[in-house]
Amino acid sequence: MRYELIQNNQYNIGHICTAQQCAAGRGNKLAMRWFSPRMERSDYTFFELERSTNRFANLLQGLGITKGEVLFTFLPKSTEQMVAFLGSLKAECITGTLFSNFGEDALLDRLGDSAARLVVTRKSLYRKIERIRDQLPALRTIILTDVAADLSADVLSWSRLMAEASETFTVPVTTADTPSVLHYTSGSTGKPKGVLHRHGSILQQSRTANEVLGLGDDDLFWCTADQGWVTGTSYGIIGPWSLGVTQLHYAGGYDAGHWFDLLQREQVTVWYTAPTALRMLMREEQELYRGLDLSHLKQIFSVGEPLNPEVISWSRSCLDKEIYDTWFQTETGAIMIANRPGVPVRPGSMGVALPGIEPGILADDGSKLPAGSQGNLCLKAGWDSMFITYLNNDSAYRSKFRDGWYYTGDMAWQDRDGYYWFLGRSDDVINTSGHLVSPFEVESALLELPEIAESGVIGVPDELLFEKVIAFVHIHAGIEFTAELELKIRLHIANRLSSVAIPQEVLQLENLPKNKSGKIMRRVLKARYLGLDAGDISTLEE
Amino acid sequence: MISLENLEPVFQQVFDDQSITLQRETTADDIEEWDSLTHMNLVIALELKFSIKFALGELQKLKNVGDMLDLINKKAAK
Repeated sequence: MRYELIQNNQYNIGHICTAQQCAAGRGNKLAMRWFSPRMERSDYTFFELERSTNRFANLLQGLGITKGEVLFTFLPKSTEQMVAFLGSLKAECITGTLFSNFGEDALLDRLGDSAARLVVTRKSLYRKIERIRDQLPALRTIILTDVAADLSADVLSWSRLMAEASETFTVPVTTADTPSVLHYTSGSTGKPKGVLHRHGSILQQSRTANEVLGLGDDDLFWCTADQGWVTGTSYGIIGPWSLGVTQLHYAGGYDAGHWFDLLQREQVTVWYTAPTALRMLMREEQELYRGLDLSHLKQIFSVGEPLNPEVISWSRSCLDKEIYDTWFQTETGAIMIANRPGVPVRPGSMGVALPGIEPGILADDGSKLPAGSQGNLCLKAGWDSMFITYLNNDSAYRSKFRDGWYYTGDMAWQDRDGYYWFLGRSDDVINTSGHLVSPFEVESALLELPEIAESGVIGVPDELLFEKVIAFVHIHAGIEFTAELELKIRLHIANRLSSVAIPQEVLQLENLPKNKSGKIMRRVLKARYLGLDAGDISTLEE
Repeated sequence: MISLENLEPVFQQVFDDQSITLQRETTADDIEEWDSLTHMNLVIALELKFSIKFALGELQKLKNVGDMLDLINKKAAK
């Protein structure tokens, strides 16, 4: 009998990933095999997931957090993150996940814009929120996952709250259009924007987990993405669990030894990872891969940045596996274009459009371009996991759509056989190891340092990271550009924004190229860095 | 001789956390913000603080802070 994803008009993601799996007879099935950074193993069944997420939904109600209110997790990879995510969706709250290496500016932007009511975090990370808490009037409650007792009236203990909450919860019948997940994404200008999704996104997340990743009842699936980003929630939580698939999660970071130990020993069948990680694996001593038994591993998939053909060749020869590159973005919520089993891989391409998804290559004037032409990669609006707005910024949302097409911000071309090929971004946003970094945010953070008079930030190609962040600074007269100052700059970016935004190089310039209205010309900086022609510089103010 | 106590302020500065205390057994898994990107900041900070230079990839072979301390002492003694 075919498994029906939507039963009795219930679109609630939290319900479908837990209670519905139990009702389908999977209650005692392993939902998650969890490995700590030290490789200690814990197993969780769907029954356990159902009960713990119910407890979390109940504790939210007890704290007065209601439907439509926003809460975040600010945690490294942890089981509490999964529980809080699904539990808050059960209660029809809007839930977001904050990357655990975000600094204070990044936190303030996101928690402030969303008027978040509650944050689930750890004691060691809470200090960052404490420093900005007086600027967050809406933030009522903090839950700490690693304290046994409450620290104050509004800094509460996870274990105490969870122990006191009931493990039964009636999930309201949730419509497809009910807001669900909130992820912030960086643009080339302005503050990060809150990409808001709806519970109906589960249709596309589930469909692609099945039809692209090929997940079925007997699979053991491992998605290495951090839950702080969209891949980590769409495919590290929702997609596989909507199908009742067992997931492996490893809380540590990149570690070739541990990763291949897990792939082999645990007999992972489908693995979803990122090009930067694959390129790092390619650089490891190849001895590591000799004698490995990866016979259970059916497929490897990749997402985040374009996958270069060398990685595909390496995997074919060294691992005897095909790697299928997939493409989506925070706004699309789920895979839109992909290489997948059954469709010949064209190394270097993004793959072909999925059924029901209509991409188009459009010129700047909105006209559709023929195969072979370079243009804006657009998607015909209306797919199930399409974001529903940028929170508090509907004009920015509307600006992304024209004549029924969503403009992705990526430039691409399509070959005559329907494969899409990524060319780059149409804006200045930097894609570094799969994370989008806003040059504007880094430039603004740099200007907070008293030594810096002007700053310009660009992304340039990098063999490992796809793109790396380069910062140009003009420092005030009388100040020397020393190694200590460079370290201060790097630490400032790490602590204010995020480790992913740290410039790989900080270069001093006497004058930054500006146009006549005083705007830093990143295009000229990039051309100079790469030794290329800067093109039209008629507006340059020298 | 450089000690764990000498390393602690560097770690506290790099990871912006005054509560960090180091043991020889401490690894990147014990410090929330120690990832491959912040690791570069740590390398630069250690080089500046102790006037040493690490060779490319030299730190990747170290298992924990104790190994790191031994390597720093070896370099500082030269």
